Amino acid sequence: MSQTEDRAHADVAPGDEYAHEEFGSGLRSYLIGLGLALLLTAASFWVAQTKVMWAPAIPVALLTFAIAQMGVHLVFFLHLTSGPDNTNNIMALAFGVLIVFLLFGGSVWIMHHMNTNMMAPVEGGVRMPMQQGVPLQPQPGMPMQHGGGGHH
Amino acid sequence: MLGKLTWSAIPFDQPIPLVAAALVGVVLLGVIAWVAIAGWLPYLWREWITSVDHKRIGVMYVLLGLVMLIRGFSDAILMRSHQALAYNAPGYLPPEHYDQIFSAHGTIMIFFGAMPFMIGLMNFVVPLQLGVRDVAFPTLNSVSFWLTATGALLVNVSLVVGEFARTGWWPAPPLSETTYSPGVGVDYYLWAIQISGIGTLMSGVNLVTTILKMRAPGMSYLRMPMFCWTALASNLLIIAAFPILTATLAMLTLDRYLGFHFFTDEAGGNSMLFMNLFWAWGHPEVYILALPAYGIFSEVISTFSGKPLFAYRSMVWATLAICLLSFTVWLHHFFTMGPGGDVNGVFGITSMIIAVPTGVKIFDWMFTMYGGRVRFTTPMLWSVAFLVTFVVGGATGVLLAIPPADFVLHNSLFLVAHFHNVIVSAVVFAAFAGYAYWFPKAFGFTLDEWWGKAAFWFSLVGYVWVFTPLYIVGLMGMTRRMQHFSVAEWYPWIVAASLGVIVMVVGVVCQVVQLVVSIRRRESLRDVTGDPWDGRSLEWATASPPPSFNFAVMPHVEGEEAYWAIKQRAREQARLREEPDYEPVEMPLNSPTGFVCAFFATLVGFAMIWYIWWLAALGLAGAFATFVVFAWRDRVEYEIPADAVARINRLNRASRLEALQQARRKEAA
Repeated sequence: MSQTEDRAHADVAPGDEYAHEEFGSGLRSYLIGLGLALLLTAASFWVAQTKVMWAPAIPVALLTFAIAQMGVHLVFFLHLTSGPDNTNNIMALAFGVLIVFLLFGGSVWIMHHMNTNMMAPVEGGVRMPMQQGVPLQPQPGMPMQHGGGGHH
Repeated sequence: MLGKLTWSAIPFDQPIPLVAAALVGVVLLGVIAWVAIAGWLPYLWREWITSVDHKRIGVMYVLLGLVMLIRGFSDAILMRSHQALAYNAPGYLPPEHYDQIFSAHGTIMIFFGAMPFMIGLMNFVVPLQLGVRDVAFPTLNSVSFWLTATGALLVNVSLVVGEFARTGWWPAPPLSETTYSPGVGVDYYLWAIQISGIGTLMSGVNLVTTILKMRAPGMSYLRMPMFCWTALASNLLIIAAFPILTATLAMLTLDRYLGFHFFTDEAGGNSMLFMNLFWAWGHPEVYILALPAYGIFSEVISTFSGKPLFAYRSMVWATLAICLLSFTVWLHHFFTMGPGGDVNGVFGITSMIIAVPTGVKIFDWMFTMYGGRVRFTTPMLWSVAFLVTFVVGGATGVLLAIPPADFVLHNSLFLVAHFHNVIVSAVVFAAFAGYAYWFPKAFGFTLDEWWGKAAFWFSLVGYVWVFTPLYIVGLMGMTRRMQHFSVAEWYPWIVAASLGVIVMVVGVVCQVVQLVVSIRRRESLRDVTGDPWDGRSLEWATASPPPSFNFAVMPHVEGEEAYWAIKQRAREQARLREEPDYEPVEMPLNSPTGFVCAFFATLVGFAMIWYIWWLAALGLAGAFATFVVFAWRDRVEYEIPADAVARINRLNRASRLEALQQARRKEAA
């Protein structure tokens, strides 16, 4: 029976409070998290309208702050640690990140190619973005399905 | 007051759905009247409808799956017989009705036949195999089931009130947008799938939590039975993939209800994005269904070969590999939509790679049988038939994964034959194998073998008979979903496929007869010990049917095949384990939350389909109120006293001891 009890203590779900934890130290971790989160939010707003930084670097900085923000939430609010009791949570996070990466990256890649190949430019330029980098420029009046034929 | 709902919604001019629905309605009312007159309603309410016992919920899931499989099969009969009469002729189904039938067939078979069947088996078996007393969230489990039932109900209501989608089982825009589908058919699809999808997602969370957090002492990951592993992988896929479906259908709903333009091909919308997102769910869905099926075959083949599963660890790795790879192949469902050679090439290769871990599994199953003393019971027959036919389906799948070949074969009956070949032989065969294998565990008596074998042979022959002609006629160029055709060369093959359906009908009838015969002969088919098949995992360590608390004491697991080790020791020492110290058991109280929630969800779904806004608001408020009432409950559990636990367990110990001594006497003689 001791083994179940060991595991019950070892495997703590995100957000579970540790029984032995002092109230003060728990509160301190939340306060540090809140401070960092506020700091990162303020920094994002500042970066968005600053003239100090090179303009093309601003999106990169915003992205960095956003990822750091996620990290702060995971560590201070969801209590994600690298300890052995946290393997399940780390694995779940890794799985989720991988799936989001596959779905998001894959969709962007696929949709970019399909737009390029299939969405023939319409007279009047409603579908302008698709005209760039068309591998096979469809002629006006050509059936749409032939757009991707050049690949095969 | 009633939105779009008027008397014209009832298709009085179409005799086929109306008569069919009337017949089903009469049968249903008859059953309800019978139950009410016999005074079984309180029993049904107390012991089943409000039950939060994972075994009861699992049985109800399987029952829903069985009924819906028959419902979907009746659509298949209509389609095949219609096409047999549609050569240079209009057939007997008008096009708009035929379109609804093939849409309903796919929707029902996937969402309400295969899914409940697999989820039901996982629900029933996984906690027993893990050696625990229930799933992690018992009441949530009941909510999940009843929401799935709501979805099935809505799809079937569309038969008599309004219409079903005519868009195919994936409602492809722009066809499914209000411009081209102004009726309620697509809305029935959307709300039925959304509501049952919530149920499926919660059930996925429930089972993953159960497997990760609630195993018996000593049951480390690599001591779990194979079925638990495949259930874990399948439910991880549910958690990762079903939100994609929910979000995609929500976007289509916004398009249809509030004039959004996600998929309209105008004002910045893009219909191809729907295909991309739908199949990003759709391909993992294939493995959500197939992985538990692989688990069932692993259990069945190992038990009836009398050997441990060959290369258990490679099986675990193959399962996890499939779990990840299933998220990298979705584009092969739309090679021909025009992603171009680079993208097609990558997804063609990943689609072929995913066949590798599946091949590993095939070899593992064959080597499990090799050198074993194979008993050809009904579950084993389904498994062997799966091995043979699935390889054919897998081979045509790898063929279709080659983009140039797919350009020739896509949308043809060859494709239809391919995916039926894999999904019937994997999922349906596994469902029936699992049904026959675990039926004695659920009800305490085995199913009749003679009728089971008859059902197997007719189903197998009928299935090969139907789909081989479809492969051939697909290679000859016949596309899917044709309401009529005029090519003379196709005609004989279509007639042949229709004759095969007759054989399949005999198989289904045998399946029903088997159940009736087994119930009538239950005394002679009684499973006294709780281990009718000489099983190897923990579900066979308890009585059949198991007590509500599953195990009197938590079993202590010391290796792979937990129950086999216990049994071997008992056989060597000719006595059972020491009697444990019994302690009182706490079990969750039954709750009507699931049923009441689903009742209100049905109102919401029906009201949204027919634009009855006040009723939708009422339903939502009701569902929320149910949740609040449940959250404020005072008593959560009830206690089964230690002497009751002891009494129940001693009964099973006595019959096991009896069986053990009988076996010894037989050996001595």
